[in-house]
Amino acid sequence: MSNGLMNRVLPAPAAFQPLKALLCTIPMLLLSAMMLSHGSFPTEPLQRIALGLTYIFCNGLFFLMLYTGKVHRYRSVFFITAAFAFIISFGANLLEVRGSMVLNEANIIDGDTPFCHLVIPMVIIPAALTKTIIFPGTLLNRFASIAGMVVLWLGASVALGRGWCSWVCFYGGLDEGFSRLCKKPVISDIDTKWTYLPWAVLLGIVLTSALTLSPTYCEWLCPFKTVTEFGAITSFKTLIQTVIFVTLFLALVVVLPIITGRRIQCGLFCPFAAFQSVTNKFNIFDIRIDREKCVDCNRCSKGCPTFSLDEASIREGKTLLSCTKCGKCVDICPRQAIRFHIKGTSVSASAESARLLFLYPAFIFATAVGGGMVYGAMVRVLKLVTTGSMF
Amino acid sequence: MQGFLLGLSTGAVCLAYCAPTLVPYLLGEGKGIRQSGVILCQFLGGRLCGYLIFAVVAWALNQFVIIPNVDYESLLGLVYIVLAMALAFYGLRNNSAPCAGRSFNASVNRILGRWPALMAVSLGFFTGLNLCPAFLLALASACELNNLSQSLLFFFSFFLGTTLYFIPAPLLGAFKGLPTLRIIGKMAAVITAIYYLYTGIIMFVGGMNFL
Repeated sequence: MSNGLMNRVLPAPAAFQPLKALLCTIPMLLLSAMMLSHGSFPTEPLQRIALGLTYIFCNGLFFLMLYTGKVHRYRSVFFITAAFAFIISFGANLLEVRGSMVLNEANIIDGDTPFCHLVIPMVIIPAALTKTIIFPGTLLNRFASIAGMVVLWLGASVALGRGWCSWVCFYGGLDEGFSRLCKKPVISDIDTKWTYLPWAVLLGIVLTSALTLSPTYCEWLCPFKTVTEFGAITSFKTLIQTVIFVTLFLALVVVLPIITGRRIQCGLFCPFAAFQSVTNKFNIFDIRIDREKCVDCNRCSKGCPTFSLDEASIREGKTLLSCTKCGKCVDICPRQAIRFHIKGTSVSASAESARLLFLYPAFIFATAVGGGMVYGAMVRVLKLVTTGSMF
Repeated sequence: MQGFLLGLSTGAVCLAYCAPTLVPYLLGEGKGIRQSGVILCQFLGGRLCGYLIFAVVAWALNQFVIIPNVDYESLLGLVYIVLAMALAFYGLRNNSAPCAGRSFNASVNRILGRWPALMAVSLGFFTGLNLCPAFLLALASACELNNLSQSLLFFFSFFLGTTLYFIPAPLLGAFKGLPTLRIIGKMAAVITAIYYLYTGIIMFVGGMNFL
């Protein structure tokens, strides 16, 4: 492509006037107040401060998204903060309730294991065949119950499709955070064959879970066990498992994202991500490329954190099934050719409306999940600073 | 009849045990429904061979009463390891990247070129030697039979009962229009191979006691 075309960069993407951005933030101000406070204002001063700070943090970012038009930039700040806040609040909760982050047999027998969304693809076939959920958690009532997580996942899947992976997932922010550390990636050429690996892992874990009637991904492959809940090393098996968890975490969540600048765990390994991609089929939001504006500079495909754009898909004017609607391609397109889009409408229809309509449900789910984690972590940190103890 | 009914009642478990090998293989081959049916028959043929070997074992156990001093766990571990190697080889064999195993790759490809059914049959055979819960039930029942032909017949009818659950498997051939599924199938075969390899090594070294 000629330099002339590249130089004809259009001004910043559709940004709102301050007053309009503020007015559009009002619904979020009300909804986030309700979701973060759960309907009652905390009595402890520290909790009040934490709630206020979280409230300002969430809504400030939402306002900035609208005001500047840069969705990815501010989503990313929220997403990364929420992921690290999750580790702090989850770990502190476990320490408070159990006295340790270690999962032992007594916890498993008690059904005391918090359920996370990564387990969902593995429980479906055994649940259909044996009417049993092969996870040592509780269905209702307790923290991170199975029913609660499934309902949350269903709602977010309907509203966002695979947008879950860039707006709601409380692990994704970790590799996104590390992927942003190095400005110039050391490795930029990755064979597209690797993008099929999450599907292969999904197939492997679904089949072996049906065989062993246990969630094999959680037992053997989940890198996030390294920083959340892990099994006590009491046998050769648990030793091997721990070595695998730590190795995968360092490789997929830390080192490879740093040297590639991409979300390697989310884009090239996570089986739940592959499973979640299917929900993009029936979700009404997608990302489209206006072919009349596109100059095939391929900045979007080179910058996509989850490998969801390639030359063929750009030619077709749409993203691949794995798109997480993070908005990075929308932000970095020099011609504003990429936009949030509502299926069934014209690509050249108002991008502003589609973006706004997507941002509301996306940020509601993000605040409901990530906001709670930021609040929880902030309470712990403030307690640590003021009293010397997190509990 | 008893074997057939036992196969019918426990066939879903057999399917669950065979699926991690069979599904990646069928996807990796990327054939249509009819061709996938042929592959399934080859796989089941190998599985039947495995079953009939156990029929002989069950008869021998009954005949000799005293169980010979054989380390069955190590033997099964070895079967798992061979199965894992076969699966891994299947997943990686058409990799054109230069590697140290290229000449081995080429010679095995020559053999498979001459007998294309060998891979499916051997995968079926080694899967058939697995001691899944359903199979243990069949083995226990067959041990009560007095002659070899009865034992063989029992396992054959057990095989027929379980085979009914495999009938939908060739429908995976309906996805042959998706070439990416071939890559996914082969990658999944390697992942499953790693799982079987670990299980096999642990069983082979007798590690199950300290797991």
